[in-house]
Amino acid sequence: MNSQKIIGIIWRGFPNTIELLIFSFIFATLLGLLLTWVGLRKNRLAQGIATVYLNLVRGTPPLLMLLLAYYGLPVLLKAIGINIDHWTRLMFGILGLSLGWSGYLAEAFRSAYLSVDTGQIEAARSVGMKDQTTFRQIILPQAAMLALPNIENLVVGLVKATSLVYVIGLYDMYNQASNLSNQTAGLHQLQIFILLALSYWGLVLVIEVLFRLIRRRYQWLA
Amino acid sequence: MLLKITDLKKQFNGQQILNGIDLSINKGEVVVIIGPSGSGKTTLLRNLNFLEQADSGLMEFAGEKINLAQATKSEIQMVRRKTAMVFQNYNLFKNKTAQENIAEGLIYGHGENAKTANQKAVQALKNLGLDKRKDYYPSQLSGGQQQRIGIARATVLNPEIILFDEPTSALDPELVGTVLKDIQQLAEQGQTMIVVTHQMWFARNVASRVLFFADGEIIESGTPVQIFEHPQKQRTKQFLNALADNY
Ligand SMILES: Nc1ncnc2c1ncn2[C@@H]1O[C@H](COP(=O)(O)OP(=O)(O)OP(=O)(O)O)[C@@H](O)[C@H]1O
Ligand SMILES: [Mg+2]
Repeated sequence: MNSQKIIGIIWRGFPNTIELLIFSFIFATLLGLLLTWVGLRKNRLAQGIATVYLNLVRGTPPLLMLLLAYYGLPVLLKAIGINIDHWTRLMFGILGLSLGWSGYLAEAFRSAYLSVDTGQIEAARSVGMKDQTTFRQIILPQAAMLALPNIENLVVGLVKATSLVYVIGLYDMYNQASNLSNQTAGLHQLQIFILLALSYWGLVLVIEVLFRLIRRRYQWLA
Repeated sequence: MLLKITDLKKQFNGQQILNGIDLSINKGEVVVIIGPSGSGKTTLLRNLNFLEQADSGLMEFAGEKINLAQATKSEIQMVRRKTAMVFQNYNLFKNKTAQENIAEGLIYGHGENAKTANQKAVQALKNLGLDKRKDYYPSQLSGGQQQRIGIARATVLNPEIILFDEPTSALDPELVGTVLKDIQQLAEQGQTMIVVTHQMWFARNVASRVLFFADGEIIESGTPVQIFEHPQKQRTKQFLNALADNY
């Protein structure tokens, strides 16, 4: 079997891989921001909830998170009257990865927020900026840039984690490749997996370029 | 009288850092604070614009009486709008250009419209001879340039009082003079200011009043001549002698 054909089959899984990546990242970011905000509240209860969630998520292997999302969550939600049986596997995949990565991203956001130099905040106050303005103009942009390297690592990690969705029967690049390998009785196994690895490398390369562009755009980071 | 502080006290971790400070300042006065490291000079300035909250004390400023320990948000905001601060390590906004650093206090802190604010910022940069650097970020500027912009950021707000906390102590020696000249020029234009510094020539030549500060108290206060030529207190003499020995 020639490489082109193998690539063609592997890349049939690309739409699922990329959708998993993009949507999981978006939802994880939103949830992560919410968690960060809740975790930084002065309210003890809010802090407690955020801490428990973060610890649970951090302690759960991504694979298990996907299984729990797929098999556990529908049962749990049904108990409170919400039916998600009609959800597609892709939606469950996105859900599982989002839950997991929301915790990691929240940690990245939180530590970035806390490492904004207090002198910056004091300077903003000293020129009369209110807290809200200080947050928008000074803290948020600086925290975003401080979080960037961690976010990049987490996105790359997420790319790899998308390959775990085979456990819920979703056909991404990895599952296409392993399926193909099985169908051909392992005859082209090495070739297939090398091409699969190259596909992931390509994707990660694109991500690295994107992040480099962001960094260059915000040159004040230096 | 522009500003009057009565019996300002501040503790950190049970340790008394400011021990009942009384201070009043008239319009146009240049008050220079000298004193040993750790005596509470920075803490005093930070209490004046509520970067720290005092444990007790009274402030009379711009016709208002403010309980320093229980200042309301709007009182704090009022004081911050009528004062400005220049920091030892500049604290220019890292994510803002030179021009934005000067303009945005006006825009976001004082509600001035963006156009006027930017015109003022550009003019301020011209006055410093730094207009070519207007789009530079702090990380692309030298320490001296950053501090001069830090001073412009403060003066453009047209504050009643500017608080300077050792504005030159992070600078290379050859830049100290330039920055102090900027401050001297401001003083000559009648800007009221409180300057914490270890630069004795500045204290001698620019101050209208010198405060010698030690252990959280104003030990002695007077004109530069009184303090430097005829110090009354033992503690002041010791400090000045120790300084003289270093040169
Ligand atoms: N946020 C804080 N928490 C605890 N202690 C503090 C804090 N800020 C200042 N201090 C303590 O208060 C004392 C006075 O500090 P301050 O910075 O006001 O001194 P200073 O006179 O400005 O000294 P220097 O000349 O070295 O700048 C020091 O002992 C310092 O450790
Ligand atoms: Mg100090």
